[in-house]
Amino acid sequence: MRTAVVTVTGGALRVELVSAESEEGKEFDPEDCAFEPETSTPNECGPGPGPIIPEMKELAWGAGSFIVFALLMRIFLYPRLRKGMDARYNSIRVGHEAADAARASARSEVAQYEAAVAAAKADAAKVVDAARATLESERQAQIDAANARISAKRDAALADADAARASARGQIEAAVADVVTSAAEAATGRRPDGAVVSRAVADTMSAGVSR
Amino acid sequence: MIALEFPPINEILRWKDLFPSFNKIALIAVAAALIGTIVFLLAGSKDPMKAPKGVRNLAETIVEFIENGIVMQTMGRDGLGWTPFLMSIFMFIYLCNVPGIIPFLQMPATARIAIPMFLSLLVWVVFIGTGFKHQGIGYLKSSLFPPGVPKALYILVTPIEFISTFLVRPFSLTVRLFANMLAGHILLVTFALLSEALFQAKGNPGLIPVGVLPLFMLIFLTGFEVLVAFLQAYIFTILTAVYIGGAAHPEH
Repeated sequence: MRTAVVTVTGGALRVELVSAESEEGKEFDPEDCAFEPETSTPNECGPGPGPIIPEMKELAWGAGSFIVFALLMRIFLYPRLRKGMDARYNSIRVGHEAADAARASARSEVAQYEAAVAAAKADAAKVVDAARATLESERQAQIDAANARISAKRDAALADADAARASARGQIEAAVADVVTSAAEAATGRRPDGAVVSRAVADTMSAGVSR
Repeated sequence: MIALEFPPINEILRWKDLFPSFNKIALIAVAAALIGTIVFLLAGSKDPMKAPKGVRNLAETIVEFIENGIVMQTMGRDGLGWTPFLMSIFMFIYLCNVPGIIPFLQMPATARIAIPMFLSLLVWVVFIGTGFKHQGIGYLKSSLFPPGVPKALYILVTPIEFISTFLVRPFSLTVRLFANMLAGHILLVTFALLSEALFQAKGNPGLIPVGVLPLFMLIFLTGFEVLVAFLQAYIFTILTAVYIGGAAHPEH
């Protein structure tokens, strides 16, 4: 057995591997070691075979344990677990497929809905256009009627104005003829012909209007 | 002066029997099989149609890890039938590795050679049997006389292929798992002993703070062993899948 001897001198640490039977080791008694083996009674298990020689009891227990474990795993444990895993994976796959189908169906319905909305919008646009056309024609008819009424009223007003103007002109001509007749009678002492005076006044006023 | 005695290798690897012919390694192996069985029993008892959580989530994660991370990568869809076997190997090895860092157990069952050797021999039998089942006697031909090699080279190639395929594979599987776990265990013991010796250095109080350094290393290595436990289980399992896949489909 070799023993490591550690010597501290000042700050230096010296380690020596010595044999208990060697000359150097004689001054060191291995019984003084503080070493405690892993087992409290290490010698009870005996020296046994070398570390690279298998012990039959370890071989038998190890082999037996493994064979039982492997057989249980092969026959019962793994198939049971794998079956459960496969069932869950299948369930998940079915769920995925159902979700995909539902998504495709929803997309189809959305497309149908969008097509219906587009058709409704087109119909609505047509209705609106027709309404606008109807409204426009009615508005135009109303405007035309109003214009006709305005035109008729204006013509009537113009006729009234012409009549009033003609009446006023006749009254003015009569008044002027009277004045001219009176003036001519006062100047000449003879009363002029009323028709001639009226014609002269009318000609003069007409000439003035035209000028 | 303090002295650190490293115990003989068997003192940190061998355990007295809990009862006749049943020691801590056997206890860990049985516990690994029981825990794996209980996990899958509990997982199987949960309603599979609900979103998995807890133990069922753990079991399904393991199944998918083996199927997608190992079988599909090495054997393809045809290899899915090997999932229970590969899952058994992975879980058993992992659950045998992890006790190396569990307080009071603190011993990976795979740091003893018996279990790695049994599993390797089992894998050896399985992949050779698979080869003969799928290819018949042609398995020997495809293994020992790889196509595309000039015939003159078969003098060299055939013995090499025989040794590497039929002799070295179980040996390398055994040693890889056993040696890694043993090395990790010895490292943990070493740093634990060193920390303890430094913390208990009588007459040298200046050494006590130095004990923190191996303690930190011990904590780091304990975390590292968590990774190693998983990694060794994964490596053993994926190599098993590669060997079986290669025997079943030599063209791959």
